[in-house]
Amino acid sequence: MPLARSLIGLGATVALALGSSAASAQSAAERAVEAAKQYAGTTLNVTWEAGLQAQDPLLFSGPKWEELTGIKINVVEIPIQELFTKTLAEHRAGTGAFDLLNVVPAWIPDLAEAGALEPLDAFIDQHGYRDELQDIAPVYRDNQMAYQDTVYGLPDDGDVLILYYRKDLFADENHRAAFSDRFGYDLAPPETWQQFLEISQYFTESEELGPDFFGSAQIRVPGLIHFFFEERFRTNGGRFFDQETMRAQINSDAGVQALAGMIEEHQFMPPGVEAWGPIETLSAWLSGNLAMMGWWPPPGRWSDGFFDADVLSFVPTSEVAGKVGYALPPGGAPQLAAGFSLAVSSDSANKEAAYLFAQWLNSKEISIERVQLPYALRDPFRTSHFQNEDYQNAWGNANEYLDTLQKGAETGLLDLSIRSTAAYEEALTRAITAAFGGEDPQAALDQAAAEWDRLTDRIGVDVQKRAYSDWAAKPNAYPN
Amino acid sequence: MTAVSVQQPLGVASSKGWWARKANRRLVVRYIVATIVTIIFLFPVYWLFIMAFKTPEEVFASPPVWLPSDFSLDGFVELFRDGDVNTVMNSLITAGTSTVFAMFFGTIAAYSLARFKTGGDNLAIWIISQRMIPPITIVFPLFLMYALLGWIDSFHGLILLYTAFNLPYVIWMMRGYIEDIPIELEHSALVDGWTRWQVLWRVVFPMARAGLFATAVFTFIFAWNDFIFALILSRTEVTTFPVQMTRFFGHQQTFWGKIGAMSVIGTLPIFFAVAAMQRFIVRGISMGAVKG
Amino acid sequence: MKATTSIADTSFGYRVSVFADRRFKYLLVWPAVLILLLVAIFPLINLLIVSFQDISIIGENKTFQGGLNYGRLFEDARLWQSIWHTLAFTAVALPAELILGLLLALLFVDRMPGRGIFVALLIIPTVISPIVAGAMWRLMLDTQFGPVNQILGWIVGGPVDITWTVDRAFVWPAIFITEVWQWTPFMFLLLLAALSNVDKSQIEAAQIDGASGLRIFFKIVLPAIKPVLAIVLLIRGLDLFRLFDIVWALTKGGPGTTTETISLYAFVLGFQQFETSYTAAIAFVVIVLLSIIVILALRRVELAR
Repeated sequence: MPLARSLIGLGATVALALGSSAASAQSAAERAVEAAKQYAGTTLNVTWEAGLQAQDPLLFSGPKWEELTGIKINVVEIPIQELFTKTLAEHRAGTGAFDLLNVVPAWIPDLAEAGALEPLDAFIDQHGYRDELQDIAPVYRDNQMAYQDTVYGLPDDGDVLILYYRKDLFADENHRAAFSDRFGYDLAPPETWQQFLEISQYFTESEELGPDFFGSAQIRVPGLIHFFFEERFRTNGGRFFDQETMRAQINSDAGVQALAGMIEEHQFMPPGVEAWGPIETLSAWLSGNLAMMGWWPPPGRWSDGFFDADVLSFVPTSEVAGKVGYALPPGGAPQLAAGFSLAVSSDSANKEAAYLFAQWLNSKEISIERVQLPYALRDPFRTSHFQNEDYQNAWGNANEYLDTLQKGAETGLLDLSIRSTAAYEEALTRAITAAFGGEDPQAALDQAAAEWDRLTDRIGVDVQKRAYSDWAAKPNAYPN
Repeated sequence: MTAVSVQQPLGVASSKGWWARKANRRLVVRYIVATIVTIIFLFPVYWLFIMAFKTPEEVFASPPVWLPSDFSLDGFVELFRDGDVNTVMNSLITAGTSTVFAMFFGTIAAYSLARFKTGGDNLAIWIISQRMIPPITIVFPLFLMYALLGWIDSFHGLILLYTAFNLPYVIWMMRGYIEDIPIELEHSALVDGWTRWQVLWRVVFPMARAGLFATAVFTFIFAWNDFIFALILSRTEVTTFPVQMTRFFGHQQTFWGKIGAMSVIGTLPIFFAVAAMQRFIVRGISMGAVKG
Repeated sequence: MKATTSIADTSFGYRVSVFADRRFKYLLVWPAVLILLLVAIFPLINLLIVSFQDISIIGENKTFQGGLNYGRLFEDARLWQSIWHTLAFTAVALPAELILGLLLALLFVDRMPGRGIFVALLIIPTVISPIVAGAMWRLMLDTQFGPVNQILGWIVGGPVDITWTVDRAFVWPAIFITEVWQWTPFMFLLLLAALSNVDKSQIEAAQIDGASGLRIFFKIVLPAIKPVLAIVLLIRGLDLFRLFDIVWALTKGGPGTTTETISLYAFVLGFQQFETSYTAAIAFVVIVLLSIIVILALRRVELAR
C-alpha cells in the first residue's frame, strides 16, 4: 500500500511539473481536458439519478466530454431511492463497476467511513482546482465537500428549499387591506411560521379566490418530510443532540412546536396534503391554486416557462408566469435538502480520469452551461452562476430568483449528516407520519428520541460523537 | 354457485322462445355479472392507461378527469424516442426464457414427485421452502455471488435466477394438477410399450395442459414483475421493464405520461398471449376417465 | 430428448409397480434440484454466516459474534409487530382472494362465447408492475385527485375527503383493496384451470339425481379441486407473506409503523440502513416461522385428503 501510494504521489509530482507551465494559462476545465486526453479510448461508468438528472450527462456533458477527450461516458441511471444502496453494495462487493459517483452530501460520512470514496485533495492540487472551488457558494463549499478535513466530493447541485409566493396577490391592494385589517400587520412574505399560518389562513378563506384556492402547500411524503422538520426545528432553536452526552433532543419544545405547527397548517392547505409529494405540490402551484409553496429551485424556472417542455413533459403548463416572487422560508435559514456532490469511487480503475471528468463538469465554464440546461435539474451553486448575466435575464425577474438562491446559499442549513444517517432520518420520519396520522406530536417525538438514543448506543456514543461534532462544527449546521 | 352446471347447447331455438329457456336466462345473467366484475377490475387499469394521454394538469385535477381531452400519442412517441421500450424487450427475453426453463424442469420434477413420491415429503417441503425466503434478505448475498461469477448485468444471470425462483411454484402447482390426472392412461401406455419420455410428452403433458398453461402464465408474470433482483443485479445492459418504470419516479419528477404509456406497451403482449392461450386453460379433460 | 429415453426403458417397469423406475424418477428431479441449489445454496450459507457476524453500516466485523443478532430479535418490538401485521393481513386477504377468485372461476367455468376475452382482461391487474400498481392506486385513492373518493361522494351524496394513505383507519383498507385487486386474478385463473378438469360426468349424474347446485359444489366440485386449491392457497399465502411493493408505494409502512410488514422492515434495515447481519438473522427467523406454519398446514391438508 505505502509503495503504491508513494508511486502515485511521484506520478502526481511529475505531472504537476510537466503541466505547471501550461496550467497558469488555462482554465480548470481546459486543464482537465488536457490531462484527460491520455485516457482517450477508455470508458467511465458514472452513476446518476435516473430520469431528468441523467439527461445532463446523456445529452450534454457526456457526448461533449467524449468529443473533447475521447473518453466515453457510460451513464448508469439509478432511481434516487436506491442510489445509496447500489453505491455501497457495489463497493462492498468490490466490483469496481462505477468510476464516478453522484452522492448526496449527507451520505459522505457513511460512504467515506466505508472506504467507498476516494480522497480528492491530491487530485485537486495536482490539477489546479483549489482556486475555482472558492467560487462555489459558501454553504456548499464549506459544508458539502469534506468529512474529517478530507475532501471527498465536489458540490455540484445547489439544492435549497425556498419559498415561492404569488407576487401578484401579495401586491394586490384589496388583499393587503383586508389582510392587515384582520391580522394587524402588512401582507408580505412570512418571516415566522406564525405569519405563514396566518397568511395561509387568509388566502384559503378568501372568497374572492374561490374554494379551490389555498394559502399554501408543502411536501409531506416520507423520504422528504424530515427535511422540512429539520429546518423548522433548528430555526426554532432546536439542537439534534446534546453535544456532551449525545442524547437526542428532537423531542424538545423546539421539535414539538415544529411538528405541531406543521400539523396545524394542514387545515389551510388542500385536503389530502398529508399525502402530497413534490409533484402534487408543484402541480397545484403551477395551476395557480396556491399562494405559497416550499420547493427546491426548479419551479422558479418552470413557473416562467424556462425549460424544455418536450423533455419535462410531466410539468404542468404554468398559469403563474410573471406572478412569482421568491423568498427564504420563515426563519430565514432554508434546508439544503439533498443536493448532489461528485465523488470518485475508491474501487475505480480509472480514478484520475474519473476525477478529471468531475473537475470538468464542476468547473465554472461547464457548470454554468449545465445549470442552465433547459431539461436538467442541476441548480445554480456557484457565485458566478448567481451573477451570470444571461441567467439573470432569462425571464422577467430571474435576477430576483438568483438573488434568493444566493441568499439561501449563505444561510442554508445542512441536512443532518452523521453515521448511519438514514436510520436516524427514518426514525424521525416515522414520528412525523405517526403524528400526521393522529398521534400526539410530543409522544411521537419522544419515541423517536428514544430510538435515536438506542441507535447512538449501538453505533457507539464516541463514534457518533466524533461524526456529529465534525458535522456540528460546520458553519451551517445550525442557524447563526 | 349456479354456474356449476352441465354445458348446454347455446342458442338452440325452442318452442317456448329463447328467453324462456333457463340456460339462456342464466347465460344472460352471467354476462351481466361478468361485465360488471370486469369493469370493476379494469377500471384501475383504465385509469393507469389514460395517464398516457392526460396532460400534466389533468393528472392532478380536482375533480379528477375521467376522459383526457386529447388522445395524442406523444407519450408513446417519447418512449420510442428515449429508448424506454427496449426494456420491454429485455423483460420479454428474461421472463420468457426463464418461463420455458422453469416450466420444463419444474413439470418433469413435479411428475416425479407426484407419481413416484420422489424424496417423500421432505423434498417437496424443501422445494417450497425456497419460496419462504424473503427476497429482500437474499438480494445482497446473491449480488455477491453474481459479482464473483461476473454475472451481474447479464441475461443468463437473471434468467437462471427467475427460473430458480419460479421452480417451487411450478413444481407444487404442477404436482397438484398431475395428481388430478387419472393414472390409468399412463399404465396402459407403458404396457403398450411406450417409453417413459413418450408417456410424459404424449400423455401427461397434454392431459395437464390446462394446469400447464395456467401455471405458465403466472410463472411469466412473476418473472415479469420482479423488481428487487433486477434492480440490484443489473446496471445498464439488462434493464428490465419494472426497473425502468421506477426511473420515472424521482424526488423532483413523476412521469405519469410515460408510466401510463409504458404500462400499455408492457401489458399488451401478455394480454394477447393469455387471450390466445386461455382456450387451453379452460378446455380441461373430457376423457370421462374415472378418478383413482 | 430421444437419446435419454433408453435409460427409461419400460422393460423394468410395470410388474412391481408401474412406477418403480429409480433412475428415471431421479433424472426428472435432478435438474430442478440442481438449479435451486445453484442459486440458493450460496446465499443461504452466506446469510447464515453473516447472521453470526456483525456487519452494519458502521463497519464489517467478520468475527464470530455468537447470538448477538439473534438476541436482538427478541427485544425488537418493531420486528414482532411487523410479523404480526403480515400474518394478520395474510389471514384477511388470503380468504378474500380465494373466495373472490373462486366465485369468478365458477362464473366462467361453463362455456360462454367471448369467455377468452373476459379471462384475458381479468388477468391484466397481475401484469401491472406492483410498484406501479401501488403508485397508481395511491393516485386513485388520492383525496382530491382520485376517482375513489369522487365515486364514494356520489354514493353518499356529499364530498368525501378520506386521506387513504395517511389516516390510520384507512391505510389497511387501502392496501387490502390494492392487494385483492391485483392478485385475485391469480386465484381466479388457477382455480379456473382446476375447475375445468373436474369430471363433468359426475356432475351430470348428480344433476340427474336432482342434487342442488350447492350440494354438487360441496360434494363433487370442491373435493375434486382441493389439491390445487390447497397449493394455490399455499403459494399465495407465501407470497402475501412477502408483501412489499404495494405497501411501499402506498404508505411506506406509515403512519408511523402502522402498516409495516416484515418485508418492509427488512427492506428498511437491510437496504437503506445496511444492517446486514441483523437482517440476515431476521431472514432465518422468517424462514423458520414460515416452515413451521407451512408444515403444520400441510399436515392438516394431507390428513384431510
